[in-house]
Order: sequence, then structure tokens, then C-alpha cells
Amino acid sequence: MLVRLLILLLALAVPAAAATRVNVAIGADVNVVEVHKTVLGPGFAQTSKDTEFNVVGTGTGEPASRAIYTKLKAQADTGRKPWDIDVALVSMAVASQMVKEGLLHRYVPQLKNAALVKGAEVKEAFGVTVDGYVVPMFQNQIAIAYNPARVAAPPKTFEELVAWAAANPGKFGYNGIKGGVSGVGFTMGWVYWKTGQYKALTQGPFDKSKEGAIREAITALRDFNKTALITNGNAGTLDALNRGEIAMGAVWIDQLVAWKNEGRMDATVTPVLPAPGLPIYPLYLVVPREAANRDLAVRYIDYVATPEVQAKAIVEKFGWYPGVDADKVLPLISAKSRELLFKGVSAEDLAKYSRQMPIKEYHDLITLAYEEIVR
Amino acid sequence: MVLGAVFLWPLAVSVLASLTRDGALTLAHYETVWRLYRGDVLYTIGVAAAGTVLTFAAAIPACGWLRLRAFGPVEFLLKVPLFVPFVVVGHALRVALSPHAPGLAGSWAGIALALAWKHLGLAALLLLGAFRGVDESYLEAARDVGATGGRLVRDILVPMSGPALAVSGILIFSSMLASFSIPLMMSRGGGPQMLMIDVYYRYGQHGDFATASALGVVAYLLAMGAALVYARRLTA
Repeated sequence: MLVRLLILLLALAVPAAAATRVNVAIGADVNVVEVHKTVLGPGFAQTSKDTEFNVVGTGTGEPASRAIYTKLKAQADTGRKPWDIDVALVSMAVASQMVKEGLLHRYVPQLKNAALVKGAEVKEAFGVTVDGYVVPMFQNQIAIAYNPARVAAPPKTFEELVAWAAANPGKFGYNGIKGGVSGVGFTMGWVYWKTGQYKALTQGPFDKSKEGAIREAITALRDFNKTALITNGNAGTLDALNRGEIAMGAVWIDQLVAWKNEGRMDATVTPVLPAPGLPIYPLYLVVPREAANRDLAVRYIDYVATPEVQAKAIVEKFGWYPGVDADKVLPLISAKSRELLFKGVSAEDLAKYSRQMPIKEYHDLITLAYEEIVR
Repeated sequence: MVLGAVFLWPLAVSVLASLTRDGALTLAHYETVWRLYRGDVLYTIGVAAAGTVLTFAAAIPACGWLRLRAFGPVEFLLKVPLFVPFVVVGHALRVALSPHAPGLAGSWAGIALALAWKHLGLAALLLLGAFRGVDESYLEAARDVGATGGRLVRDILVPMSGPALAVSGILIFSSMLASFSIPLMMSRGGGPQMLMIDVYYRYGQHGDFATASALGVVAYLLAMGAALVYARRLTA
């Protein structure tokens, strides 16, 4: 964490040139950093002369977003103004915390593309009203990936998944709750399925009496884990799938697509979204409250939210689901990209089975129960 | 002054964070550590101990042999792990073991093996120094009464380097207690975890600085126990 903060500090401390410099901090993998550096930043600079981008990656997973939060919080606590991050890409959990603590600027109403920013996930996140503060750069869905050569009939439901895992011990893998968010998402999907309380867990209000049902669901997950392989991370699950150690596992669809595009993954491995579904976990573009170049930051995010940019840079180039209104973006992508994007998980599946993360209190209750019961 | 700024002040902040909630003193974070992570404390001690034993099991015969028959290339190879970063060791061992022994790669034994590999260089550096400090006349006397390689190491070099071996063991054990990169690269997402992984999880996933600090304090205490033995050895 300290190293990340130091890198962030050093990178942002580079002396400014004559052009206005927009500091963009990306709490995500290097491929997302590269999109901003090589595609989105230069694309925006063409429409806005004298703008240069300083894009900094802070790592992967939740800790990467937390490094950005820690820096902004420190600047807020010490009363320093302006803050030296103009645009940040952070996780749902960290964005909701930043909104709650008043660290973000409410900018979405200023966007030309504001009407395209829609969906439950831009209204509420972890029980916090984030409406107006966030634009998903892309949507990231957790799904079950399988090797068709070894799984004749991919599971359409969690019941089928459990039956398959019981018949094939050690051949289903996920990364628990300490190895990345795909494992956390699988756990949440499991609890939604077992408790049947999806709506209550995601919309609140928090009701402690649901703890019994949650612990019962987690106890069943402990038993399920005896037939599963707990991998060492999001990448670990894909690696185990690729090597044939497992035949099915919980993964991020974007990571699966990226690995396939890079030729690092068996091209036949396919995602499926079993009912009643698994969480979608967007990364949000946000503007810090005291950003030095707030207006420029807002215009940059507006550019990223443009349907044409979403279609070319987000969907066609990287195989991510669009962050803004899919009805406006998907007609702009090629038939080949559409086929790749929806192979295994159709647009209808996404509409039906994409789940939200629970509100923070339930999220913490579920992860705590996991630590206590499953280990 | 410098010591205060770079070590004591962060340590004090961390200890204070582990003992407070909303400005009031509390032991609740330690209760969380006890409830959720006491098994991981024992696991961490166990893995570090196993790693230390493995390191010495490899280093003592190798360094003993090198003391008796100096051979530069082998000495160089033995010290190579000193210059390989922890994360590279974790990655390399995972890649090497996963296809052939996937069960071992993610297990406590796999982590102990990787830690031992990484610390072999440090052990070689310390042990060779100690063994070379043993006067040649003792070895010659033993040879005169028929002792050969193994006996010379076991009955002369090791006993006469006892204090140095103990100090090396403590340094290596403390380093293994605080290891992060190798467990991060190798361990599974479930089951017992090394303490530093728990610290990372509490802060990274939950933003729970207080419990992360309490875990850190527990790690300080474990390392301090070893450090006290080290200090006593130095002053003895």
C-alpha cells in the first residue's frame, strides 16, 4: 500500500508542462491504464488542444482503489486544495465510501451524455446513493467459465452447478473471499440463491434478523467447498482452467476475454451465467470534490461516455460490456464483436441474471460469516 | 530523531489505531484477531518454523562441504537467492510446482519450500562465515582420529558455530514471519493464511485499518520475541 501511494505521489509530482495536465488515477489492471493512456486520452486530446494526460495505475483489486481513496482522504483531512487527482477510476465499494464521506464532485448532471448513465448500479452502491457521482467506464460481470471439452452440459442454475461439482470433485474452482472480488461475487450469488433474499440484501434496510439465514447459506457453502478447489486469485482460477486442473470456475468475463484476446487462454473456454445470477461489479469514473481541473475532468468523462467511444474503445477493442446505455452502444458495434461479447452469456442472460452487490452491512455480515464458518 | 520519525512514530500510530474505536480505547480489534485469526497466527509460526528448518537442512550440509572443500561456483550458486526478489521466487515456484504438484504449490509445505529457497542465500552467507571462523586445527585433530566429511560438520563445525547458527535462525525465522509476497503468490484463497495476507485483506478488502493494525502488532510481538533472543545472544 505504502509503495503504491509512493508511486502515485511521485507520478503526480512530475512538473507540469505548459499544457493543462489532467491527472488520471486508475485503480485497475494495466490493460485499463493502457486504454486511458493510448486510446481515450489521445482521443480526447484531439478535441481539446493543450490538454495532456498523466495516467497512473495504482494496482489491481480493491487495494488499488483504496490507494486512491487514502490519498484523497489525506488531502481532504489536511485541508490541502486543490487535490491532485482530476479523474479516478475506482471500485463500487470505494466509490460509495467516497460519496458517503463527501470526497466526490456531483458531476453527472453536467454531462451531455447524462441520459445514457442509467441502471440500478448508478443510483445506489452498497446502500449509498451514488446517483450523479459516478459513470461506469464499463460493466464487469462475474460468471462461471467452463471447458466445453470436459463439461458436456454447462449449469443453467446453481442447483445444476452444485450437482456437477459433487459429481466432479475438485474440478470446480473459485478463489474464496481473500483472493479477489470474483470469489466474493460468487459467495454473494450463492447467498442470494440459498436465502432467496436478493431484494432485501441489495436494497435494505439492514435487518440483523437475517443473519441466521445468511449463516445457514454460508454453512452450506462450507460443505460445497469440500467438492471445490479454492484457487489463489482471479487469475489463479483462469490459470487452473487453462491448465486443466479444473474444468469450471468463477471468473471475471472481461479477464477471460482479455486472456483469450492475448492468446493466453484456451479459446474454447466459455462463460455461462447460472440462475439466479451473479454480481456485476462496475468500475466507476469519478471526479474528486476539489480536483484542480474539474471542468476538464468532466468533459473527459463525457467523452468516455459517448456511445461511439464506448462502442470502439470499450466493447470492440477490449470486449468489455458498455458502461452506459447498452441500447445506444450495441447497435454501433460490429457483428463479430457482438458474437464475441455475447458468446455464452447473452444480452438476455445479462438482463435477467446480473445481480447487484449487497448493501455494505450485509456484505460485511456475509464476509464475516465466511471467515468464521468456512475459513 | 531519524529513528523516531521513520520507525517509532509509525509504530505508535499503528499501535494506537489498534487500540481505539471512534476515539475511545478498546480491545475489540484484538478480540477480532483472537476470534478470526488465532489459527493464522499459529499457522504463520508453523510455516516460518518449517521454512527455517528446511533452510538449515539444506544450508548446513552445503556450507559444511564448502568449508571443507572451497568451491567457488557452488558457493556462488548458493548465494544466488539473495539477489532474487521474493515475488519472483513465489511466482517461479508456483509456475514450477502447479503443473506437477498442484496440491503442494498452494499448501503450507509449498510456501515453506519457497521461503526456504529464498533464504538459502542469507543462510549460506551467515553459516559460511561462522564455519570459516572455526580454526583449522580442530578439523585436523578430528581428521587425525578418522573423522570424515559428515562427522566433521556434525561434531565439529555445527557445535562450534552454535551461537552464530542460533542468531542466523532467529533472523531467518523473523523474516519468514513477515513474508508477504511469497504467500500472496502461492497460497490459496481459502484455508489458513499467513498473517501479512490477513493484514492486506483487512485493509484492502474492508478498509479496516484498526484490525489490520492489531494484526500488525501481533506480528511485531512475535518478531520481538525472536529479537529478544537475538539481543541476548549478542550481549551474552
